[in-house]
Amino acid sequence: MHITEGFLPPLHAAAWTAVSLPFVVASAWRINRLMRDQPQIKLLLAASGAFAFVISALKLPSVTGSCSHATGTGLGAILFGPSVMALLGTIVLAFQALLLAHGGITTLGANVFSMAIVGPWVAYGLLRGARWLNAPLAASVFLAAMLGDLATYSATAGQLALAFPDPASGWVGSFIKFVGVFAPTQLPLAVVEGLLTVAIVNFLREYSGDELQILKFPSQTVAVEARS
Amino acid sequence: MKAGNGGLLLLAVVLVVGSVLIGSRREGAEFAGSDGQAMEAVAAIQPDYRPWFGFIWEPPPEIASGLFALQAALGAGGLGYYLGFKRGQARGRRNRADAGD
Repeated sequence: MHITEGFLPPLHAAAWTAVSLPFVVASAWRINRLMRDQPQIKLLLAASGAFAFVISALKLPSVTGSCSHATGTGLGAILFGPSVMALLGTIVLAFQALLLAHGGITTLGANVFSMAIVGPWVAYGLLRGARWLNAPLAASVFLAAMLGDLATYSATAGQLALAFPDPASGWVGSFIKFVGVFAPTQLPLAVVEGLLTVAIVNFLREYSGDELQILKFPSQTVAVEARS
Repeated sequence: MKAGNGGLLLLAVVLVVGSVLIGSRREGAEFAGSDGQAMEAVAAIQPDYRPWFGFIWEPPPEIASGLFALQAALGAGGLGYYLGFKRGQARGRRNRADAGD
């Protein structure tokens, strides 16, 4: 989902930067307040950022004979709410843009929007929705993380389609073309991300009951299980 | 729960290994990055588009692999520290409770 440096026309690059900036500022403010009010959860917050760091560094192979990487932003989003991931995701993307020639400075705004804003919000929304429907927690977490990952790549496809509409079939045709590039590669990787996220949530439910209770995750059920 | 997590991790490994095996049987499989393929698609749609800004710094390939490894190591290190810390904490709590009996 990294749009390469210079691959968005200046106007698009500036527009996505303008859209993402308020989210990142709000995210910094939120993280700051979270650390001040609930310093006990600092370590878990760092661990969520670390998860995104490691998983987005690993280029994983796919059945299509191409390769891509998961995003790792679903975990933090479902634990802390989607807004904290905007800043954590920006740190990951800035690291890769500056040191790894992966992504770019001019495309940072667009990449932040897809990976650190759309993905986390979709994951968070899906988790809330699935819990509201009384779906089992593991299934809810799996779906949230997996579809959040896919949402990020769809957002990238949308951004590229807006910038490069197909001469014949327009934005829609171009969007389908870019989705066609990403989706087959990403699908198995999104499943892997879902599985790993469930494994970590399982771990947290066994060993981090105190922190989950502070975060009220996942709603009321955890208070009972933490004591048992 | 532990057996459950073992199964989840095993399934993830099977998926990745299976992907390599299935993927490499496809003709011309080079495991190229899908990001790069998307940029090729841009070139196909608008052949006259030229990136208007280049990388400020591009690490030589060997350095790049090291920096990727560094990113993964920082992430895995941070995550592993947390997981180990919480397990140790839980064990300490259990031991104290046993000693108090």
